[in-house]
Amino acid sequence: MSNLEKYVAAFTSTFLVEESALANLKYQDIAAWDSVGHMSLMAVLEETFGIEMDIDDIIEFSSFEVGRTILAKYNVTMK
Amino acid sequence: MKHIADLPVRVIAGCSLADLRPKALPPYAPEAVAFLTAWSKQLLARPDIRAYPDVASFAYWCRPANLARLHRELGCQQLRMGRGVALHIAPANVPVNFAYSFAFGLLAGNANIVRVSESLPAQADIVCAEANDLLSQADHGRIASMNTLLSYPRNDDITQRLSAVADVRLLWGGDQTIEHLRRMPVSPRCVDIAFADRYSLCLLSAPAVLMAESKALQALAVGFYNDVFLLDQNACSSPHLILWQGTVQEVEAAQVRFWNAMQALLHTKGQSPGIHAVDKYTHLCRTAIQVKGAKATPTADNRVFRVALDELPENIAEHRGRFGFFFETIDNDLAQLRRIVNTRYQTLTCFGVDAHVLAEIVVSHGLAGIDRVVPVGKALDIGVIWDGYDLIRNMSRIVATQ
Repeated sequence: MSNLEKYVAAFTSTFLVEESALANLKYQDIAAWDSVGHMSLMAVLEETFGIEMDIDDIIEFSSFEVGRTILAKYNVTMK
Repeated sequence: MKHIADLPVRVIAGCSLADLRPKALPPYAPEAVAFLTAWSKQLLARPDIRAYPDVASFAYWCRPANLARLHRELGCQQLRMGRGVALHIAPANVPVNFAYSFAFGLLAGNANIVRVSESLPAQADIVCAEANDLLSQADHGRIASMNTLLSYPRNDDITQRLSAVADVRLLWGGDQTIEHLRRMPVSPRCVDIAFADRYSLCLLSAPAVLMAESKALQALAVGFYNDVFLLDQNACSSPHLILWQGTVQEVEAAQVRFWNAMQALLHTKGQSPGIHAVDKYTHLCRTAIQVKGAKATPTADNRVFRVALDELPENIAEHRGRFGFFFETIDNDLAQLRRIVNTRYQTLTCFGVDAHVLAEIVVSHGLAGIDRVVPVGKALDIGVIWDGYDLIRNMSRIVATQ
Protein backbone atom coordinates (compact mmCIF):
# COMPACT_ATOMS: atom_id res chain seq x y z
CA MET A 1 0.00 0.00 0.00
CA SER A 2 1.27 3.48 -0.77
CA ASN A 3 1.37 6.11 1.95
CA LEU A 4 -1.62 7.83 0.39
CA GLU A 5 -3.61 4.60 0.40
CA LYS A 6 -2.71 4.01 4.05
CA TYR A 7 -3.68 7.61 4.87
CA VAL A 8 -7.04 7.20 3.15
CA ALA A 9 -7.61 3.86 4.87
CA ALA A 10 -6.97 5.44 8.29
CA PHE A 11 -9.83 7.89 7.64
CA THR A 12 -12.26 5.45 6.04
CA SER A 13 -11.76 2.79 8.73
CA THR A 14 -11.87 5.22 11.67
CA PHE A 15 -14.83 7.30 10.53
CA LEU A 16 -16.59 4.76 8.29
CA VAL A 17 -16.83 7.26 5.43
CA GLU A 18 -16.49 6.81 1.69
CA GLU A 19 -13.18 7.71 0.11
CA SER A 20 -14.98 10.15 -2.19
CA ALA A 21 -15.97 12.28 0.84
CA LEU A 22 -12.42 12.74 2.08
CA ALA A 23 -10.93 15.46 -0.12
CA ASN A 24 -12.85 18.29 1.55
CA LEU A 25 -13.38 16.64 4.93
CA LYS A 26 -12.71 18.86 7.93
CA TYR A 27 -12.69 18.31 11.69
CA GLN A 28 -16.25 18.23 13.03
CA ASP A 29 -17.81 18.09 9.54
CA ILE A 30 -19.18 14.68 10.44
CA ALA A 31 -20.34 13.28 13.78
CA ALA A 32 -17.61 10.62 13.77
CA TRP A 33 -14.80 13.22 13.58
CA ASP A 34 -15.41 14.81 16.97
CA SER A 35 -12.81 15.16 19.71
CA VAL A 36 -12.97 11.44 20.51
CA GLY A 37 -12.83 10.46 16.85
CA HIS A 38 -9.82 12.75 16.53
CA MET A 39 -7.98 10.78 19.23
CA SER A 40 -8.75 7.53 17.41
CA LEU A 41 -7.53 8.95 14.10
CA MET A 42 -4.29 10.28 15.59
CA ALA A 43 -3.59 6.92 17.28
CA VAL A 44 -4.20 5.07 14.01
CA LEU A 45 -1.98 7.44 12.01
CA GLU A 46 0.85 7.24 14.54
CA GLU A 47 0.70 3.47 14.44
CA THR A 48 0.30 3.20 10.68
CA PHE A 49 3.32 5.35 9.96
CA GLY A 50 5.35 4.52 13.08
CA ILE A 51 5.59 8.16 14.15
CA GLU A 52 5.05 10.23 17.31
CA MET A 53 3.21 13.42 16.55
CA ASP A 54 3.80 16.63 18.47
CA ILE A 55 0.86 17.96 20.43
CA ASP A 56 0.81 21.12 18.27
CA ASP A 57 0.48 19.02 15.13
CA ILE A 58 -2.30 16.98 16.69
CA ILE A 59 -4.18 20.19 17.48
CA GLU A 60 -3.59 21.70 14.04
CA PHE A 61 -4.66 18.53 12.23
CA SER A 62 -7.94 20.14 11.16
CA SER A 63 -8.72 18.52 7.81
CA PHE A 64 -7.84 15.67 5.49
CA GLU A 65 -5.82 18.10 3.38
CA VAL A 66 -3.99 19.84 6.25
CA GLY A 67 -3.12 16.42 7.64
CA ARG A 68 -1.18 15.56 4.51
CA THR A 69 1.03 18.62 5.01
CA ILE A 70 1.52 17.82 8.69
CA LEU A 71 2.53 14.23 7.99
CA ALA A 72 5.07 15.45 5.45
CA LYS A 73 6.97 16.91 8.43
CA TYR A 74 7.39 13.33 9.66
CA ASN A 75 8.73 12.24 6.28
CA VAL A 76 5.43 10.65 5.36
CA THR A 77 5.14 11.86 1.79
CA MET A 78 2.09 11.34 -0.36
CA LYS A 79 2.01 12.01 -4.04
CA MET B 1 7.96 -16.13 45.16
CA LYS B 2 5.00 -14.95 47.18
CA HIS B 3 1.90 -17.03 47.18
CA ILE B 4 -1.43 -15.43 47.93
CA ALA B 5 -4.30 -17.49 49.24
CA ASP B 6 -7.55 -17.17 47.37
CA LEU B 7 -10.06 -14.79 48.88
CA PRO B 8 -13.78 -14.27 48.28
CA VAL B 9 -13.41 -11.70 45.52
CA ARG B 10 -14.84 -11.41 42.02
CA VAL B 11 -12.08 -11.52 39.41
CA ILE B 12 -12.90 -9.11 36.60
CA ALA B 13 -9.79 -9.60 34.49
CA GLY B 14 -6.46 -11.38 34.75
CA CYS B 15 -5.71 -14.33 37.02
CA SER B 16 -7.10 -15.40 40.38
CA LEU B 17 -5.22 -14.40 43.52
CA ALA B 18 -4.06 -17.97 44.06
CA ASP B 19 -2.59 -18.08 40.55
CA LEU B 20 -0.84 -14.71 40.77
CA ARG B 21 2.89 -14.97 39.98
CA PRO B 22 4.32 -11.70 41.19
CA LYS B 23 7.58 -11.67 39.25
CA ALA B 24 8.61 -8.08 38.63
CA LEU B 25 9.61 -6.63 35.27
CA PRO B 26 11.75 -3.61 34.39
CA PRO B 27 9.83 -0.34 33.80
CA TYR B 28 8.20 -0.12 30.38
CA ALA B 29 8.85 -3.81 29.73
CA PRO B 30 7.90 -4.84 26.19
CA GLU B 31 5.22 -7.24 27.53
CA ALA B 32 3.59 -4.49 29.58
CA VAL B 33 3.71 -1.99 26.74
CA ALA B 34 2.34 -4.57 24.29
CA PHE B 35 -0.62 -5.23 26.57
CA LEU B 36 -1.38 -1.55 27.18
CA THR B 37 -1.13 -0.61 23.53
CA ALA B 38 -3.37 -3.54 22.54
CA TRP B 39 -5.83 -2.36 25.21
CA SER B 40 -5.65 1.16 23.77
CA LYS B 41 -6.30 -0.09 20.26
CA GLN B 42 -9.27 -2.26 21.22
CA LEU B 43 -10.86 0.54 23.21
CA LEU B 44 -10.39 3.14 20.48
CA ALA B 45 -11.86 0.74 17.90
CA ARG B 46 -15.13 0.32 19.82
CA PRO B 47 -18.06 2.06 18.12
CA ASP B 48 -19.51 3.09 21.51
CA ILE B 49 -16.30 4.82 22.65
CA ARG B 50 -17.61 8.21 21.48
CA ALA B 51 -20.10 8.24 24.33
CA TYR B 52 -17.22 8.00 26.82
CA PRO B 53 -14.55 10.67 26.32
CA ASP B 54 -12.85 9.60 29.55
CA VAL B 55 -12.33 6.07 28.25
CA ALA B 56 -11.11 7.47 24.94
CA SER B 57 -8.65 9.70 26.80
CA PHE B 58 -7.32 6.72 28.73
CA ALA B 59 -6.98 4.66 25.54
CA TYR B 60 -5.29 7.58 23.81
CA TRP B 61 -2.89 7.95 26.73
CA CYS B 62 -1.94 4.25 26.34
CA ARG B 63 -1.17 4.57 22.64
CA PRO B 64 2.28 3.35 21.56
CA ALA B 65 3.72 6.78 20.71
CA ASN B 66 2.87 8.18 24.16
CA LEU B 67 4.29 5.20 26.06
CA ALA B 68 7.47 5.38 23.98
CA ARG B 69 7.82 9.06 24.89
CA LEU B 70 7.28 8.37 28.60
CA HIS B 71 9.84 5.56 28.47
CA ARG B 72 12.40 7.93 26.98
CA GLU B 73 11.62 10.55 29.62
CA LEU B 74 12.29 8.01 32.39
CA GLY B 75 15.78 7.56 30.98
CA CYS B 76 18.02 4.65 31.89
CA GLN B 77 20.68 6.14 34.18
CA GLN B 78 19.91 3.42 36.70
CA LEU B 79 18.89 -0.19 36.47
CA ARG B 80 15.33 -0.41 37.72
CA MET B 81 12.60 -2.98 38.26
CA GLY B 82 9.16 -3.12 39.82
CA ARG B 83 8.97 -3.35 43.61
CA GLY B 84 6.89 -6.54 43.46
CA VAL B 85 3.18 -6.55 44.20
CA ALA B 86 1.30 -3.29 43.85
CA LEU B 87 -2.09 -3.09 45.52
CA HIS B 88 -4.41 -0.45 44.10
CA ILE B 89 -7.42 0.73 46.06
CA ALA B 90 -9.13 2.78 43.37
CA PRO B 91 -11.72 5.49 43.97
CA ALA B 92 -15.37 5.61 42.98
CA ASN B 93 -15.48 9.29 42.00
CA VAL B 94 -13.51 8.98 38.74
CA PRO B 95 -14.73 6.06 36.59
CA VAL B 96 -11.49 5.17 34.76
CA ASN B 97 -9.08 6.03 37.56
CA PHE B 98 -8.49 2.35 38.35
CA ALA B 99 -7.27 1.81 34.79
CA TYR B 100 -4.66 4.57 35.07
CA SER B 101 -3.57 3.32 38.48
CA PHE B 102 -3.18 -0.18 37.04
CA ALA B 103 -1.27 1.14 34.01
CA PHE B 104 1.15 3.09 36.26
CA GLY B 105 1.82 -0.03 38.34
CA LEU B 106 2.31 -2.15 35.26
CA LEU B 107 4.61 0.35 33.54
CA ALA B 108 6.72 0.53 36.70
CA GLY B 109 7.16 -3.26 36.40
CA ASN B 110 4.92 -4.53 39.17
CA ALA B 111 2.46 -7.34 39.54
CA ASN B 112 -0.84 -5.63 40.28
CA ILE B 113 -3.88 -6.33 42.39
CA VAL B 114 -6.44 -3.70 41.47
CA ARG B 115 -9.57 -3.29 43.51
CA VAL B 116 -12.19 -1.81 41.22
CA SER B 117 -15.06 -0.05 42.96
CA GLU B 118 -18.38 -1.87 42.68
CA SER B 119 -20.33 1.30 42.06
CA LEU B 120 -18.72 2.48 38.85
CA PRO B 121 -20.75 3.49 35.79
CA ALA B 122 -20.93 1.68 32.44
CA GLN B 123 -17.63 2.90 31.03
CA ALA B 124 -15.69 1.00 33.70
CA ASP B 125 -17.29 -2.23 32.45
CA ILE B 126 -16.12 -1.47 28.92
CA VAL B 127 -12.56 -0.89 30.09
CA CYS B 128 -12.62 -4.10 32.17
CA ALA B 129 -14.21 -6.19 29.41
CA GLU B 130 -11.47 -5.30 26.94
CA ALA B 131 -8.78 -5.99 29.53
CA ASN B 132 -10.35 -9.36 30.27
CA ASP B 133 -10.51 -10.19 26.58
CA LEU B 134 -6.81 -9.44 26.09
CA LEU B 135 -5.64 -11.11 29.27
CA SER B 136 -7.43 -14.30 28.18
CA GLN B 137 -5.23 -14.45 25.08
CA ALA B 138 -1.99 -16.44 25.05
CA ASP B 139 -0.11 -13.41 23.65
CA HIS B 140 -0.52 -11.63 26.98
CA GLY B 141 0.01 -14.70 29.18
CA ARG B 142 2.94 -13.20 31.10
CA ILE B 143 0.94 -10.08 31.94
CA ALA B 144 -2.16 -12.13 32.82
CA SER B 145 -0.11 -14.25 35.24
CA MET B 146 0.94 -11.23 37.28
CA ASN B 147 -2.17 -9.07 37.29
CA THR B 148 -5.67 -9.23 38.62
CA LEU B 149 -8.50 -6.74 38.49
CA LEU B 150 -11.01 -7.64 41.12
CA SER B 151 -13.98 -6.37 43.02
CA TYR B 152 -15.44 -7.02 46.45
CA PRO B 153 -17.82 -5.24 48.78
CA ARG B 154 -16.07 -3.17 51.41
CA ASN B 155 -14.33 -5.75 53.58
CA ASP B 156 -11.46 -4.90 55.89
CA ASP B 157 -10.39 -8.50 56.26
CA ILE B 158 -9.76 -8.88 52.53
CA THR B 159 -8.08 -5.48 52.23
CA GLN B 160 -5.83 -6.33 55.18
CA ARG B 161 -4.77 -9.63 53.69
CA LEU B 162 -4.01 -7.97 50.36
CA SER B 163 -2.15 -5.16 52.13
CA ALA B 164 -0.02 -7.73 53.94
CA VAL B 165 1.41 -9.03 50.64
CA ALA B 166 1.84 -5.62 48.99
CA ASP B 167 5.24 -4.05 48.27
CA VAL B 168 3.59 -0.84 47.22
CA ARG B 169 0.07 0.46 47.77
CA LEU B 170 -1.64 3.11 45.69
CA LEU B 171 -4.42 4.40 47.87
CA TRP B 172 -7.04 6.64 46.31
CA GLY B 173 -9.86 8.02 48.37
CA GLY B 174 -11.10 10.55 50.87
CA ASP B 175 -9.00 11.47 53.90
CA GLN B 176 -10.93 9.11 56.16
CA THR B 177 -10.53 6.17 53.78
CA ILE B 178 -6.80 6.83 53.49
CA GLU B 179 -6.39 7.10 57.23
CA HIS B 180 -8.28 3.85 57.67
CA LEU B 181 -6.19 2.02 55.05
CA ARG B 182 -2.95 3.42 56.46
CA ARG B 183 -3.67 1.77 59.80
CA MET B 184 -3.58 -1.70 58.24
CA PRO B 185 -0.31 -3.54 58.79
CA VAL B 186 1.98 -3.76 55.79
CA SER B 187 5.42 -5.26 55.25
CA PRO B 188 8.31 -3.13 56.58
CA ARG B 189 9.48 -2.30 53.03
CA CYS B 190 6.05 -1.47 51.66
CA VAL B 191 5.74 1.98 50.10
CA ASP B 192 2.39 3.75 50.40
CA ILE B 193 1.44 6.38 47.87
CA ALA B 194 -1.74 8.04 49.04
CA PHE B 195 -4.00 10.23 46.96
CA ALA B 196 -6.22 11.87 49.51
CA ASP B 197 -8.74 14.72 49.20
CA ARG B 198 -7.25 17.58 47.25
CA TYR B 199 -8.45 21.04 46.30
CA SER B 200 -7.89 22.74 42.97
CA LEU B 201 -8.31 26.22 41.57
CA CYS B 202 -8.03 28.30 38.43
CA LEU B 203 -6.24 31.55 37.63
CA LEU B 204 -7.61 33.70 34.80
CA SER B 205 -6.04 36.85 33.41
CA ALA B 206 -8.82 39.35 32.74
CA PRO B 207 -6.90 41.16 29.96
CA ALA B 208 -6.19 37.81 28.27
CA VAL B 209 -9.87 36.85 28.43
CA LEU B 210 -10.85 40.27 27.02
CA MET B 211 -8.31 40.09 24.22
CA ALA B 212 -8.96 36.47 23.25
CA GLU B 213 -10.32 36.03 19.74
CA SER B 214 -13.66 34.26 19.59
CA LYS B 215 -12.01 30.95 18.67
CA ALA B 216 -9.62 31.17 21.65
CA LEU B 217 -12.48 32.14 23.95
CA GLN B 218 -14.48 29.16 22.71
CA ALA B 219 -11.49 26.87 23.35
CA LEU B 220 -11.14 28.32 26.86
CA ALA B 221 -14.81 27.61 27.55
CA VAL B 222 -14.51 24.04 26.24
CA GLY B 223 -11.38 23.48 28.32
CA PHE B 224 -13.02 24.84 31.46
CA TYR B 225 -16.11 22.74 30.76
CA ASN B 226 -13.98 19.59 30.50
CA ASP B 227 -12.09 20.44 33.70
CA VAL B 228 -15.28 20.95 35.67
CA PHE B 229 -18.35 19.30 34.21
CA LEU B 230 -17.10 15.98 32.80
CA LEU B 231 -16.88 14.65 36.36
CA ASP B 232 -19.43 16.98 38.00
CA GLN B 233 -16.62 18.89 39.75
CA ASN B 234 -15.92 15.76 41.83
CA ALA B 235 -12.36 15.19 40.64
CA CYS B 236 -9.55 16.39 42.91
CA SER B 237 -8.12 18.41 40.05
CA SER B 238 -11.37 20.17 39.08
CA PRO B 239 -11.28 23.86 40.04
CA HIS B 240 -13.62 25.29 42.68
CA LEU B 241 -12.10 28.71 43.05
CA ILE B 242 -11.30 31.24 40.34
CA LEU B 243 -8.62 33.85 40.97
CA TRP B 244 -8.85 36.75 38.56
CA GLN B 245 -6.02 39.11 37.69
CA GLY B 246 -6.57 42.62 36.35
CA THR B 247 -8.16 45.89 37.43
CA VAL B 248 -11.69 45.79 38.86
CA GLN B 249 -13.08 47.11 35.55
CA GLU B 250 -11.14 44.57 33.50
CA VAL B 251 -12.21 41.70 35.74
CA GLU B 252 -15.86 42.71 35.62
CA ALA B 253 -15.80 42.90 31.83
CA ALA B 254 -13.84 39.64 31.52
CA GLN B 255 -16.25 37.86 33.84
CA VAL B 256 -19.17 38.87 31.61
CA ARG B 257 -17.32 37.63 28.52
CA PHE B 258 -16.10 34.38 30.08
CA TRP B 259 -19.36 33.37 31.75
CA ASN B 260 -21.41 34.28 28.68
CA ALA B 261 -19.20 31.94 26.67
CA MET B 262 -19.68 29.26 29.34
CA GLN B 263 -23.45 29.74 29.33
CA ALA B 264 -23.55 29.45 25.54
CA LEU B 265 -21.54 26.23 25.71
CA LEU B 266 -23.58 24.77 28.56
CA HIS B 267 -26.77 25.41 26.59
CA THR B 268 -25.50 23.07 23.86
CA LYS B 269 -25.00 20.30 26.43
CA GLY B 270 -28.68 19.89 27.26
CA GLN B 271 -30.46 20.19 30.57
CA SER B 272 -28.62 19.16 33.71
CA PRO B 273 -30.53 17.10 36.29
CA GLY B 274 -32.78 19.10 38.64
CA ILE B 275 -31.10 17.51 41.64
CA HIS B 276 -27.85 19.26 40.66
CA ALA B 277 -29.56 22.66 40.77
CA VAL B 278 -31.04 21.83 44.17
CA ASP B 279 -27.63 20.73 45.43
CA LYS B 280 -26.07 24.02 44.28
CA TYR B 281 -28.88 26.13 45.71
CA THR B 282 -28.62 24.36 49.07
CA HIS B 283 -24.88 24.88 49.00
CA LEU B 284 -25.38 28.55 48.20
CA CYS B 285 -27.58 28.91 51.29
CA ARG B 286 -24.98 27.09 53.38
CA THR B 287 -22.29 29.37 51.98
CA ALA B 288 -24.33 32.48 52.79
CA ILE B 289 -24.50 31.36 56.41
CA GLN B 290 -20.96 30.10 56.79
CA VAL B 291 -18.70 32.21 54.56
CA LYS B 292 -18.24 35.78 55.69
CA GLY B 293 -18.66 38.36 52.94
CA ALA B 294 -19.99 35.90 50.37
CA LYS B 295 -22.02 37.61 47.63
CA ALA B 296 -23.98 35.53 45.14
CA THR B 297 -23.61 36.69 41.55
CA PRO B 298 -26.94 36.49 39.69
CA THR B 299 -26.82 34.06 36.78
CA ALA B 300 -29.22 33.41 33.93
CA ASP B 301 -30.11 29.86 35.02
CA ASN B 302 -29.13 27.04 37.34
CA ARG B 303 -26.23 25.65 35.37
CA VAL B 304 -23.56 27.68 37.16
CA PHE B 305 -23.59 29.19 40.64
CA ARG B 306 -21.07 31.93 41.40
CA VAL B 307 -20.08 33.51 44.68
CA ALA B 308 -17.92 36.64 44.80
CA LEU B 309 -15.53 37.24 47.68
CA ASP B 310 -13.36 40.27 48.39
CA GLU B 311 -11.22 38.27 50.74
CA LEU B 312 -10.76 34.51 50.81
CA PRO B 313 -11.30 32.78 54.14
CA GLU B 314 -8.52 30.41 55.10
CA ASN B 315 -10.81 27.42 55.00
CA ILE B 316 -12.26 28.10 51.53
CA ALA B 317 -11.35 24.53 50.50
CA GLU B 318 -13.93 23.25 52.97
CA HIS B 319 -16.70 25.11 51.15
CA ARG B 320 -16.38 23.43 47.79
CA GLY B 321 -19.55 22.79 45.84
CA ARG B 322 -20.34 20.43 43.01
CA PHE B 323 -21.93 20.44 39.53
CA GLY B 324 -20.67 23.95 38.71
CA PHE B 325 -20.28 26.01 41.89
CA PHE B 326 -17.50 28.60 41.99
CA PHE B 327 -15.98 31.19 44.27
CA GLU B 328 -14.36 34.16 42.53
CA THR B 329 -12.00 36.81 43.80
CA ILE B 330 -9.34 39.20 42.52
CA ASP B 331 -5.80 38.26 43.50
CA ASN B 332 -3.32 40.27 41.48
CA ASP B 333 -0.15 39.49 43.40
CA LEU B 334 -1.36 36.08 44.59
CA ALA B 335 -1.14 37.37 48.15
CA GLN B 336 -4.49 35.79 48.98
CA LEU B 337 -3.46 32.45 47.56
CA ARG B 338 -0.15 32.55 49.42
CA ARG B 339 -2.00 33.28 52.64
CA ILE B 340 -4.44 30.35 52.43
CA VAL B 341 -2.59 27.66 50.47
CA ASN B 342 -1.87 24.40 52.31
CA THR B 343 -0.92 20.81 51.54
CA ARG B 344 -4.45 20.10 50.33
CA TYR B 345 -4.01 22.30 47.24
CA GLN B 346 -3.25 20.28 44.12
CA THR B 347 -3.88 21.68 40.63
CA LEU B 348 -3.73 25.29 39.51
CA THR B 349 -5.13 25.73 36.00
CA CYS B 350 -4.36 28.98 34.24
CA PHE B 351 -5.21 31.08 31.21
CA GLY B 352 -3.21 34.08 30.06
CA VAL B 353 -0.52 33.52 32.69
CA ASP B 354 2.63 31.45 32.13
CA ALA B 355 2.41 28.09 33.94
CA HIS B 356 6.18 27.95 34.44
CA VAL B 357 6.22 31.35 36.11
CA LEU B 358 3.45 30.23 38.46
CA ALA B 359 5.26 26.96 39.24
CA GLU B 360 8.37 28.97 40.08
CA ILE B 361 6.32 31.14 42.44
CA VAL B 362 5.21 27.96 44.26
CA VAL B 363 8.84 26.96 44.75
CA SER B 364 10.37 30.38 45.46
CA HIS B 365 7.73 31.23 48.06
CA GLY B 366 7.99 27.77 49.60
CA LEU B 367 4.25 27.22 49.31
CA ALA B 368 2.94 24.23 51.26
CA GLY B 369 0.73 23.07 48.39
CA ILE B 370 0.09 23.06 44.61
CA ASP B 371 1.72 20.16 42.79
CA ARG B 372 0.62 20.99 39.31
CA VAL B 373 0.20 24.09 37.16
CA VAL B 374 -1.40 23.40 33.78
CA PRO B 375 -3.41 25.33 31.18
CA VAL B 376 -7.21 25.39 31.52
CA GLY B 377 -8.51 22.22 29.86
CA LYS B 378 -5.78 19.95 31.20
CA ALA B 379 -7.00 19.60 34.79
CA LEU B 380 -8.09 15.99 34.37
CA ASP B 381 -5.08 14.86 32.31
CA ILE B 382 -3.68 12.36 34.76
CA GLY B 383 -0.17 11.07 34.09
CA VAL B 384 2.85 9.30 35.55
CA ILE B 385 3.65 12.47 37.51
CA TRP B 386 0.66 12.95 39.80
CA ASP B 387 0.01 14.62 43.14
CA GLY B 388 3.68 15.58 43.22
CA TYR B 389 4.88 11.98 42.88
CA ASP B 390 6.87 10.45 40.05
CA LEU B 391 4.85 7.24 40.09
CA ILE B 392 7.11 5.12 37.90
CA ARG B 393 10.17 5.93 40.03
CA ASN B 394 8.26 5.58 43.30
CA MET B 395 6.80 2.22 42.32
CA SER B 396 10.08 0.73 41.11
CA ARG B 397 13.36 0.02 42.87
CA ILE B 398 16.92 0.72 41.79
CA VAL B 399 19.42 -2.10 41.46
CA ALA B 400 22.60 -0.15 42.14
CA THR B 401 26.18 -0.93 41.12
CA GLN B 402 29.38 0.93 41.87
